[in-house]
Amino acid sequence: MTRTAHQSFDPGLLIIPAFALLILLFVIPLAWFFVGVFAEEEGVSAVMHRFIDVLSAPGIVNALITTNWISAMVTALTLVIGYPIAYYLANNTGWRFALVLFCIIVPYFTSVIVRTYSWMVLLGRNGTINQALLSLGVIDAPLPLLYNKMGVLIGMTYVLLPYMVLTLYATMRGIDSNLVRAAYGLGASPVYTFRKVYFPLSLHGVVSGSLIVFILAIGFFITPALMGGPSDVMIAMLIERAVEITLDWTSAAIMSVALLAMTLVLYVIYYRVTDVRRMMGA
Amino acid sequence: MSGDTKVRLSRRQVTTALGTSLIAAPFIITRPTWANVQLPVRTPGGSFDEVKKEHVYDPFRKATGIEIVPVPATVAKLLAMHKSGNMEVDLIDTGDDTLLQLDQAGALMPMDYSVFKMTNPEDLDPIVKRKEQVGNFVYAMVMGYHTAAYAKGKEPKSWAEFWDIKAFPGPRTLPDMASGSPNLEFALVADGVAPTNDKIYPLDIDRAFNSMSRVRPAITKFWDTGALSTQMLADKEVVLASLWSTRLGVAIDKGAPLGAQWNQNMVLVQSYGIPKGSKNVDAALKFIDFSLSPDIQSAWMRAYKAIPVNKKSYPATAPELLDPKTNLPWTQAGFRRDIDWWAANRTKVNAVWQKWVLR
Repeated sequence: MTRTAHQSFDPGLLIIPAFALLILLFVIPLAWFFVGVFAEEEGVSAVMHRFIDVLSAPGIVNALITTNWISAMVTALTLVIGYPIAYYLANNTGWRFALVLFCIIVPYFTSVIVRTYSWMVLLGRNGTINQALLSLGVIDAPLPLLYNKMGVLIGMTYVLLPYMVLTLYATMRGIDSNLVRAAYGLGASPVYTFRKVYFPLSLHGVVSGSLIVFILAIGFFITPALMGGPSDVMIAMLIERAVEITLDWTSAAIMSVALLAMTLVLYVIYYRVTDVRRMMGA
Repeated sequence: MSGDTKVRLSRRQVTTALGTSLIAAPFIITRPTWANVQLPVRTPGGSFDEVKKEHVYDPFRKATGIEIVPVPATVAKLLAMHKSGNMEVDLIDTGDDTLLQLDQAGALMPMDYSVFKMTNPEDLDPIVKRKEQVGNFVYAMVMGYHTAAYAKGKEPKSWAEFWDIKAFPGPRTLPDMASGSPNLEFALVADGVAPTNDKIYPLDIDRAFNSMSRVRPAITKFWDTGALSTQMLADKEVVLASLWSTRLGVAIDKGAPLGAQWNQNMVLVQSYGIPKGSKNVDAALKFIDFSLSPDIQSAWMRAYKAIPVNKKSYPATAPELLDPKTNLPWTQAGFRRDIDWWAANRTKVNAVWQKWVLR
């Protein structure tokens, strides 16, 4: 019987290699780092004091706020820009589909640093965009597009857009087009159909895509370091500085714990949201 | 069908290739170990290594049979190697401030000058000779300017003028805390402190940051990597910068319309240190001795546009690095960054910096 054949192999076993890799290369080194660093402090209360000191320092509080604000903005921007692209991909085939997909995936073969420097050439005070606008007489003085929050948002949105598009696309491909056709058949307008049928069905992808982009964004380092201004400091930049420049690994570990905690909280929210939707039969 | 054949063919090729390489591997891997000795050295990499390979590594290999193997590693990685008791490099070639940090973490062995045969330690610039490390070239933090921004001879000539954003308008860049240390020294010099070591150090941190606040409105961005500093100046994102003389020299050589202002320069040192756990201390010392010797220093510094540590090589210094008044390297007229002060105060400055950038 096929039944016994199925029972002899538990598909859950397939997760073991991935799980082992995660434990070996992520959990153990992380635990080793935290234990090693905190062991240098004297006692639990000393560690707690360091936690409070580090996480209440104005520079770090501000970096945490900036990190969340920039990540939220980038998430919103990738969603607004990525949704129509994903919709186009999900509803086209052939060369149109291939071309758009190609344009989205190809930048992945170039390093983030090269792509960021390219943006700097475009956005600079004497960059391509400002030169063009100045020569057309649209503006009188160069626009400040780089070395400020605007620069960070442009750079990060560009780098993270494919994650949003591909996640949305995966969900949109699963939407039964007969439902949309049925709505039209029953006399619903395109806007009404989108609002009441298509969008709610794509909501799962919107939540997944937003969380993936947000979680990736809060750990960003290269783009804000190169394209941001002096006060656009994200938490990953401070962690790197504590590890490499001041060699203050206790502070680095504490900031890393804070960043990891933020990420884990978001994962919990993610599971709650998806579970609730399943319970409601969505 | 033809697709099937292709797959089978390539699979067979892969198997054959794998088999062959497995059989050959022991020979390929063991051959160099008896042909010559390999010395893994932490180096900054990039164009630095290209120049050094031609003028130092290759001649050293010819002379001794020892092959230098450059290894990239950050200070954090080196410290982690030390803490885990598994030092993967036999010699470290990096900034003197970084080596001091490693030494204070107990990661370095004392430098043994007594075994030098090709280099007379007496010929070395005294500022590069320390008990835990020895410099291999000298460079400086200097003022760089875009030649299109100022009429010839009208560019700022002192840090006070760099700080004077009304008389010398235009966007500027200074090093970020993330580069290792911000220019608190120049901030004090701009505020009227004499540009000498005894007047600048110990740094008055509050006064320095107050002075930094005065130039802040003209700062487009603080640079964190040397590449960014020259890129911003060459692209005219900024017209004035404080940056490394070596980076600026390379950009000028490549034809960028930039100039260097050496007045009130801050002297920096690239250095060697031997880590505890080095598996070949003798070869490391032999290499240090070789690369500091007059002939090697002359050839290497002529190509790299930095200043020799061996005084016997001063005549070979590139002319643009010489002070026309004394015909000595410009760094002889500068003040030296006090790495001991920075090692003791970097964490404190970092905390003040983090608050200050938010203003």
